[in-house]
Amino acid sequence: MFFFALIVILVFSFSFSMDQQAARELIAGILWVAFAFTGIIGLGKSFSAELQNDCLEYLQMSPAPKGAIYLGKVAANLLFIVTAEVILFPMFVIFFNLDVVEDLPVLLLIFFLATLGLSTVGTLFSAMTVQIRAREVMLPILLLPLAVPVMIAAVEATRGALNGNPLALYRHWIELLVVFDVVFTVVSFWVVELILDS
Amino acid sequence: MSGLYVRWGAVAVVAVLLVLLAYRHYERNVASLTPEEVLAERPDRVVRMTGLVRGGTLRGDLAVGRVRFDLAGQRETLSIHYQGPSQENLRELKTLVLVGRWDPAARIFQAHDIASVSNYGFVFGAYLVGLVPLAFFLFTMERKVGLLYNEIKGSKLYEPEWLDDVVTR
Amino acid sequence: MLNTIIRKLQRYKGWFGAAGGLCLGLGLYYGLVASPPDYYQGEVVRIMYVHVPLAHTSLLAYTVLFLGSLWYLWTRDPVVDNLCHAAAGLSVFFTAVALITGSIWAKPTWNTWWTWDARLVSFAVLFLILAGYLMLRTFIDDPEREARYAAVLAIVGFIDLPIVHFSVEWWRTLHQPLSISMRGVSISKEILIPLVLMGIGFSILFVYMLIVRTQMLYLSSLLNAKKGRLLSQVHLAKVEP
Repeated sequence: MFFFALIVILVFSFSFSMDQQAARELIAGILWVAFAFTGIIGLGKSFSAELQNDCLEYLQMSPAPKGAIYLGKVAANLLFIVTAEVILFPMFVIFFNLDVVEDLPVLLLIFFLATLGLSTVGTLFSAMTVQIRAREVMLPILLLPLAVPVMIAAVEATRGALNGNPLALYRHWIELLVVFDVVFTVVSFWVVELILDS
Repeated sequence: MSGLYVRWGAVAVVAVLLVLLAYRHYERNVASLTPEEVLAERPDRVVRMTGLVRGGTLRGDLAVGRVRFDLAGQRETLSIHYQGPSQENLRELKTLVLVGRWDPAARIFQAHDIASVSNYGFVFGAYLVGLVPLAFFLFTMERKVGLLYNEIKGSKLYEPEWLDDVVTR
Repeated sequence: MLNTIIRKLQRYKGWFGAAGGLCLGLGLYYGLVASPPDYYQGEVVRIMYVHVPLAHTSLLAYTVLFLGSLWYLWTRDPVVDNLCHAAAGLSVFFTAVALITGSIWAKPTWNTWWTWDARLVSFAVLFLILAGYLMLRTFIDDPEREARYAAVLAIVGFIDLPIVHFSVEWWRTLHQPLSISMRGVSISKEILIPLVLMGIGFSILFVYMLIVRTQMLYLSSLLNAKKGRLLSQVHLAKVEP
């Protein structure tokens, strides 16, 4: 997962040879494409560990509420993906020669919120696709259209933060991320009963 | 099944009639010539001609409705005497459809009306894309229903009596 | 209850088809012949009479899919699942046709086949969600599980759609104002009559198509059950009188 993201960064830096001005415009998009694909790899694996020895059956039979299992998975995915992002981001800074010191807290907040948004929907679909055929194909096909708002908001907010704009100019994107996270945490918590119930 | 084909045959006949009517309408009200075709054919009747008003050639009083200008096609340019209702469409560098008569002796096109530019191709394409697949889709669905029903009737595993109500044929 | 509704609808479905066809025919007459060309757009404005109703019908189909999915999760009736499947297939069809006709309309009016307008992007996302829905259904063997997962996906996607629309609207309108929007077209009576007629016609036709497609999917699942491929207890219990 980590090395995959590293390769994505390298491929992007080869395919766009750019100065710092162009980098500021494009970097947010590149960053989030790399993070989203990394996240999808991580999300796809989140239930596949249970496939061996029928662990998924036992997990579904366990008396614990399904919502709790789901939230645990979301927390684990969130932790892994955010960790990967925090390790990868300094490499972006080095490769693309960025200047980010004063906006670091806002960037971390954006990373956290957007990754939470990807994880809530992604974990739900991961639980769904792990039990069907062609699971590696179906997870991105289902997840990416639904994650369009997250991607747009994350890219726009990150671009604002990297350009050093005042927070008021891109605050509504962060609010949109919060709304998405709250809505889909609640909805997924409710519907995951229907997916992990066999 | 035969009723299905009769019904859809009627739909197809209606569609063909509509296309024929549309073609007649096109011939009469839409088709237009280019300046090159007018020069080559010298039509002795009222024709429609499409072209671009050359910049800087518009002279005359628009409010009265007597204007002279040059209309450019791909290669040729014709001079136009326009006498007719005042139209806001008549501006320089604008594509127009003129209705009028070609005067080969004076090499002047006497126009008496301006029609709107026909881009029926887009309209025709949109309606074609919108309606033909719809009809085809519906037809295949109905056909599939008929085939499935026959197949279910044919396979005599069990015959619940309410199935006849569900599928009225 | 459902079976009585379906029986009633089956018996009178021809009327739906006839009424839809009549409305569409009248709408076509008003739209193509009786209504005047638009002052700015010329004849191209007639595309609106087929494009806008198609787009509305695709949204109607997705609303039916959403409500049907809730209904399925409540009753777990396989016929309702067939209804959802039918609504999804119709919705993806109408969305695709609306996108193509919109593209044909955009070329002469905006001078481009595609622009990143909020409505266009929302419809493209809707198309992708529905295509994913139909793909998901093909990859699951157990019909009960297929119905359940599909219903969950439809509900989540329906909740997502307004968020997509708002985000794309912010994204674009903060950058550049739209050149021409639908609000710029003044709605007069000559325009409204064919628009409403075509809208009603397509909606009724959608109901008719929904009945036919539900019937088709129901019969094919019934055939599967008869051939012994499908061993779902629910279907077998349904067939007992």
